[in-house]
Amino acid sequence: MAHKDLRGFLAAIGPTGDLLQIDDQVDWDQELSGIGRLSCERNGPAFQFNNIKDYAGWRMVANPVATWRRYAVALGLPADTSVRRLYEFYAEREQQSIPPVTVKSGPCKEVVIPGDKIDLFDLPVPMVHEGDGGRYLGTWDLVVSKDANSDWVNWGMYRFMVHNERLLTGYPRPTSHLGKMFLDGYVPAGRPMPIAIVIGADMPSHLAATATFRIGGSEAELAGGLGQRPIELIKCETSDLYVPASAEMVIEAEVFPDRVAQEGPYGEYPGYRSGEMGNALCARVTTITHRRDPILTLDTTGFMDSSACNTSISGAIAIKRRLEKHGIEVVDVYVPPESGVHMAIVSVRKGGGAVAQKIVEVLTARRALMSKVIVVDDDVDVFNMAAVIHAFSTKCHPERGVHVTRYQGRANTLTPAYSMKERIARAGASVAFDSTWPPEWPVNETPIRATLDAMYSPDVQKKVLARWKALGL
Amino acid sequence: MANEYETFVRDATRILSGREVVLSLRDLTPGRRKYRGINVRAVVSRPPRPGEATLWIRSVVGVKDPLPCSVHIVEELPEAFKAVTYSDFFDVMEKAERR
Repeated sequence: MAHKDLRGFLAAIGPTGDLLQIDDQVDWDQELSGIGRLSCERNGPAFQFNNIKDYAGWRMVANPVATWRRYAVALGLPADTSVRRLYEFYAEREQQSIPPVTVKSGPCKEVVIPGDKIDLFDLPVPMVHEGDGGRYLGTWDLVVSKDANSDWVNWGMYRFMVHNERLLTGYPRPTSHLGKMFLDGYVPAGRPMPIAIVIGADMPSHLAATATFRIGGSEAELAGGLGQRPIELIKCETSDLYVPASAEMVIEAEVFPDRVAQEGPYGEYPGYRSGEMGNALCARVTTITHRRDPILTLDTTGFMDSSACNTSISGAIAIKRRLEKHGIEVVDVYVPPESGVHMAIVSVRKGGGAVAQKIVEVLTARRALMSKVIVVDDDVDVFNMAAVIHAFSTKCHPERGVHVTRYQGRANTLTPAYSMKERIARAGASVAFDSTWPPEWPVNETPIRATLDAMYSPDVQKKVLARWKALGL
Repeated sequence: MANEYETFVRDATRILSGREVVLSLRDLTPGRRKYRGINVRAVVSRPPRPGEATLWIRSVVGVKDPLPCSVHIVEELPEAFKAVTYSDFFDVMEKAERR
């Protein structure tokens, strides 16, 4: 079972060396996030900053789950759980949705700041990267919104920047679930959309918010399943939205259907600042509630940031389910977190060019986040990148093995490879690299891999493995 | 008004034309309010004019132009521009210039 709140999670990762407490003064202006950034790049620990320049008494944790070890603890598992097992746990728990329960009181209501008393500069909002468009309050967050025409409630992890004392600008993309809700239900009616930006909730809630999940699905139920306990929700002060009661802070706001202000640029999860500014949301904060002595959270967004492991798992599972639904015999899918959610490895029982083409078309039908798919045979372990690179390098025909699909209006605007013109038009392409043997090749002409498991008799394999073990290797 | 600002532009020549332009500025005064945003109608000068606030120009990917400018703020505008959500912010600012 996962920890009930952020503080329980932090207490669990401290003793294992996965969280460092920093009591020396650190500047909110780039220094604090620079430390977090370096830690992401070196597979280092999370940091809790207890002494932030200009903000005495405030605390901030950078990158709660940016490693597989911390990801495992976030799910209530031992820190040394293997990646394959984490994938299996996630897939099992994703199917065991547990509905949330509502409560009348909770820690996130210990302090209530009404709208007319709000000054966002009273919060230690970090300047995450040099050259960003501003200070980002929403990085490792959970943004709640509700569909105007149904009971669908969406939780998503979206970036929000401080514009002034009460105004935020944010970048849930138009193709995101929140963007869809807003454009379909609120903008045509000229109505503002209430949102709640939740900071420092229990880890399963944040994992659910950042997960690739179906339209209409309840991330609150997903969070319950992932953590194996119901999430306690409490009603907002200024809207009918419900938020995790154990959260450290809740920022209630209304998104304007008819206002814009500067947002971005911002160094994003693919590992680049791509210049995707100019089309964002604008929201006025209506109330802030928080725990006493709150601990804010920060994702130093970029290469191997705090969302990388979760989008790896949830993205891979979503891909597997979608391909199976379209009749493709998938064995395993792995999304390497180092790829910035731009590449998937898919192993199939039966490969070939037609299968590879179908895979890339299915995966880009609605919105195209993945731009590269490596399709391998089922004797390749997708979690073993050395084996994947070997298969790709040797089995993918440089001409016949490359299957491209192009699209307009649904490309990932954060893909650094796209030109500014392509990003504005949301035009792009995805490619599948067919690294399987053509099914029409006869068995007696298909090359045999020169590895112990493929080119040696079972008897010899057994002897070699026994000898290996006896040598203590 | 502050002594130092930065702004993000898609096309620097637009704001360096010497005419009045609409800009979104970030206040670089050290302290708690650093990076606060304001929208203004202003004239940008390069080289900087004595007595005016320094302005640094950044590109849409955040690259800082090493040559400083100065900015004369003619008028502070409302905190947000009236336009349909997800409108292109740079287009909206250009339209605001035409009043």
